Amino acid sequence: MHKPLRKIVIVGGGSAGWLTAGLIAAEHSTDPQSGIEVTLIESADIPPIGVGEGTWPTMRSTLKKMGISETDFLLECDASFKQGSKFLDWHTNTNEHYYHPFTLPYGFNDTNLAPFWQPFRDEISFADAVSAQSHLGEHGLAPKQISTAEYDFNANYGYHLDAGKFAILLQKHCTKKLAVKHIIDHVTQVNNSETGDIASITTKNHGDISGDLFIDCTGTSSILLAKHYKIPFVSTKGILFNDSALALHMPHESPDSPIASFTCSTAQTAGWIWDIALPSRRGVGYTYSSTHITDDDAKKELRDYITPIMGDTAAQSVKIRKIDFSPGYREKFWHKNCVAVGLSAGFVEPLEATALALVELSAKMISEQLPADRQAMDLVAKRFNAKFLHRWLNVIDFLKLHYVLSQRNDSDYWREIKDDKSIPDSLREQLLLWKTQTPYHYDAIHAEEMFPSASFQYILYGMGFITQERNKKRVDGSKKAQMLFGENIKHTKQLLSSLPSNRELINKIKQYGLPKI
Amino acid sequence: MANSVLLNSIDHQEVKVITERSEKYGDNLWYSLTFPSEFRSVQAYYPIFFNKDVNTGEFFSVAMFGFQDKENLFLTNNKWDAPYIPLSVARQPFLIGLQKVNEDGEEKEQRVLHISMDHPRVNKEHGQELFLEFGGNTPYLDTIADMLEAIHHGMVDSKVFINSLIEHELLEPFTLEIKLDDKTQNQMLGFYIISEEKVSELSGDILAKLHAKGHLQAIYMAIASQSNIRGLLIRKNIQLGL
Repeated sequence: MHKPLRKIVIVGGGSAGWLTAGLIAAEHSTDPQSGIEVTLIESADIPPIGVGEGTWPTMRSTLKKMGISETDFLLECDASFKQGSKFLDWHTNTNEHYYHPFTLPYGFNDTNLAPFWQPFRDEISFADAVSAQSHLGEHGLAPKQISTAEYDFNANYGYHLDAGKFAILLQKHCTKKLAVKHIIDHVTQVNNSETGDIASITTKNHGDISGDLFIDCTGTSSILLAKHYKIPFVSTKGILFNDSALALHMPHESPDSPIASFTCSTAQTAGWIWDIALPSRRGVGYTYSSTHITDDDAKKELRDYITPIMGDTAAQSVKIRKIDFSPGYREKFWHKNCVAVGLSAGFVEPLEATALALVELSAKMISEQLPADRQAMDLVAKRFNAKFLHRWLNVIDFLKLHYVLSQRNDSDYWREIKDDKSIPDSLREQLLLWKTQTPYHYDAIHAEEMFPSASFQYILYGMGFITQERNKKRVDGSKKAQMLFGENIKHTKQLLSSLPSNRELINKIKQYGLPKI
Repeated sequence: MANSVLLNSIDHQEVKVITERSEKYGDNLWYSLTFPSEFRSVQAYYPIFFNKDVNTGEFFSVAMFGFQDKENLFLTNNKWDAPYIPLSVARQPFLIGLQKVNEDGEEKEQRVLHISMDHPRVNKEHGQELFLEFGGNTPYLDTIADMLEAIHHGMVDSKVFINSLIEHELLEPFTLEIKLDDKTQNQMLGFYIISEEKVSELSGDILAKLHAKGHLQAIYMAIASQSNIRGLLIRKNIQLGL
């Protein structure tokens, strides 16, 4: 009999640490006699990075699982509803746009509408033809009504949120409701056992803290996995060039300005600008490649973006924060009795908000596959590493896809990022295949892919990719497809007439709260 | 309701209110608002369900008269075929208005009687008179004033009642399968009921608390009212000649 796993020590607060703590403590009994003990140590000296303000729809089940009321979450985190991403100027840089909504194409599970849309490509955009959600985006509508229960939806959604406030809410919930122990202290040393496991960590004021499993949520400094265990870093700078970001907060034009329900991503000469609307402010930032543009020129492009919204004087004086990052991930994520979650495991770039999603997926797997003892841990670690390596590669291919289909030629950045040499083989092969067949269920190699084939369809066809299917089918599916297109129109009309604006719904939630059922 | 005005014996001396029950007076109601203090009378004839206000997401209880919009299965030949009509229907065309009054230098809100002048029941030829010759209330108007008082207090209590149902997670969505005698099947969605199972799982402490607040009786009244679904089905079959 091996000693059962009892003590989990999470190093680092922030969204990653608290989400991991919360998901584990919500899944497992924390009974002092028979359950597990979750301790989170965070340093008062190191502020969390505080970006990562967009989530996936997965966040709904994450919050629900932890037992957080959606009304409390929305109000305390200054959160609003996110229904996907809107990409501007990525394709031809002629004020064009396309949508990547969270809702799957109509009838996607049993019918692939993409081939039937192809003949009408010049008449209607792919997203508009197969989903209601891009229409909701253009009309600024919310994904639900005030009478829709917490976490239920009329159209699939995640959130835009204030990352600082989010960590505070999670901390409060984890410590008060889920029996997570919170220690504020600075880690000074990591102590190995004879087997090379981490036996304990030494803190400045609380002495040695021992544990059976250590979770590294220390952000880019990656104290346990990178500094202590020296797990090598795999750079993706040659594929995805962005390594810098300039971030700022700005007020809405007026307090009752519409709150956009999509993350707006506008391509620039050496990267792209995100624009995330919360009820009380907008978070805007430019992520770019420092090898392709100087910080000053990037600042100028960012100011050009915000000047029409906030005026010249305010745009010149607004406080801009600079963040540097190395795009890439660790060669493995779980080593011995230590697993990294969040930026400590890697970060490629903010596109498609994968950071928090990867945190949720990592924490979910650690929690649901929590090894019973040290022997089981190596097997779980092996699975975890294989699964997440696949997920990182899937993320990289998917993000790269956004760039390679661009027709922009206005800078070296765009010319080089589309260059064949910078495209991973896996993506190059898929692009070749997609010339004669549309991405569909066979494109998902693993269960729970990060991005379903539907997402690949939205990007490909949003960016004007042409698939010419050559194989003629014995049964003509076009009648069924016409019916589904028709149903999508009906569904869209019904949603357009019944959903409130995002701002209207947030105001009502402030007044009444969302019903629990 | 549009054109609702403060009722007074001068402007409205000649106003009469038709009390017949008919579609043309807006009685073709699928359901109407009810509240716990009325549950005893309502549960004798109508199922009591719960519904959400689409404008606020808040729950309220309703007495059901049919299975779809504009269907009142109790309405036959200009008669309401049940001895008790829920107060929120019976009070038409009157409603409660709030008026600011100055009492000893203090501003207070006072409930006053309003009438919807556009309501089809309102006319000068037929029906119940509101005022006596010299301005006093007719017994009819006094009854109406009592009803509106009962509704006002009933709605205040209802809010507390429903909050406690939500707190103890006693409400659940349900789908009503409507099987008629000709074997046609339909579903009615969007309503909620009190879950008998969840009530049976409540601890003694919570039951005692609910009882002390008078909620336990209302809970059982609402549960008992579910047997009236059968009555509605019989009416539907008769109406369709099945």
